[in-house]
Amino acid sequence: MNASEPHIHRRLRVSGVLIILGLSVELLSLIRTHPLAFLGFMFIGGGFLVTGVVLYLSSLVSVAHPPSSEDRI
Amino acid sequence: MPLSPKEHSITPDPKTLLYVLIGVSILMVAFVVARPVITVTRGGKQLAFVVLFVLPVVVAFMGAAAQMRRTEQTEFCLSCHVMEPYGRSLRVDDPTYLPAGHFQNGRIPREQACYTCHTDYVLYGTALTKIRGLRHVYAQYVSGAQNPIRLYSPYNNRECLHCHAGARSFEEGAVHNADPSIMASIKSNELSCVSSGCHANVHDIAHLGELKLWEAPQ
Repeated sequence: MNASEPHIHRRLRVSGVLIILGLSVELLSLIRTHPLAFLGFMFIGGGFLVTGVVLYLSSLVSVAHPPSSEDRI
Repeated sequence: MPLSPKEHSITPDPKTLLYVLIGVSILMVAFVVARPVITVTRGGKQLAFVVLFVLPVVVAFMGAAAQMRRTEQTEFCLSCHVMEPYGRSLRVDDPTYLPAGHFQNGRIPREQACYTCHTDYVLYGTALTKIRGLRHVYAQYVSGAQNPIRLYSPYNNRECLHCHAGARSFEEGAVHNADPSIMASIKSNELSCVSSGCHANVHDIAHLGELKLWEAPQ
């Protein structure tokens, strides 16, 4: 990641990393049948996954509607 | 035509498919993370949408469904310490013990023994049971489970009748038909199957140490 990298690419990387974390937690939680594995899947894995997906979708919206000069004031 | 053992072995089970799908998803997301520049092309944008939105959502739903099925397993319920004696009570070597008789004779699926008898057979019963399950997890890890545990409400005959209603042994049973009012009382839950003295030997964990246990053949 460098300073000249477009903003959208940085957000894609961050959302991708969050999604990888979420998927990894979900994969690990499926190995055991245990209440803690269930909670890990739902809240930790699901939390990372939802955050990553929402960040990705919001980056799409921000590219489609870049902030106007009025917004910046 | 029945499948041969070899044909059975090449059919992947849903769990393996889910693991493979999660693994492939991780690799594809890692590719987009490593090369976000691919998204400058139309094809790259479409790939990123599939990889960063469609695949994670599909995997999350499939995984959640798999986790939900797991919460119905006997192994899941018995993984909490407070439930251990209730699991052992399924192996009491006495057919008059209701859960043991059901478990050992295959009247309920052994891998879903707790869930089969303790879910509510009503609209949204499964969802209500899952919400109660979250309370159980909270009690197990945060507030501490009461010992001995108690049912939230008296056991409802509806759960028994889900399987037994219409069964010949129940409908034509001599005791059930000894008086015309008995059957109606059972079906309306006025006369409890378990606490009326008829099928009162349930888990009885207080005397579990004195009872012989059945060892299932391997």
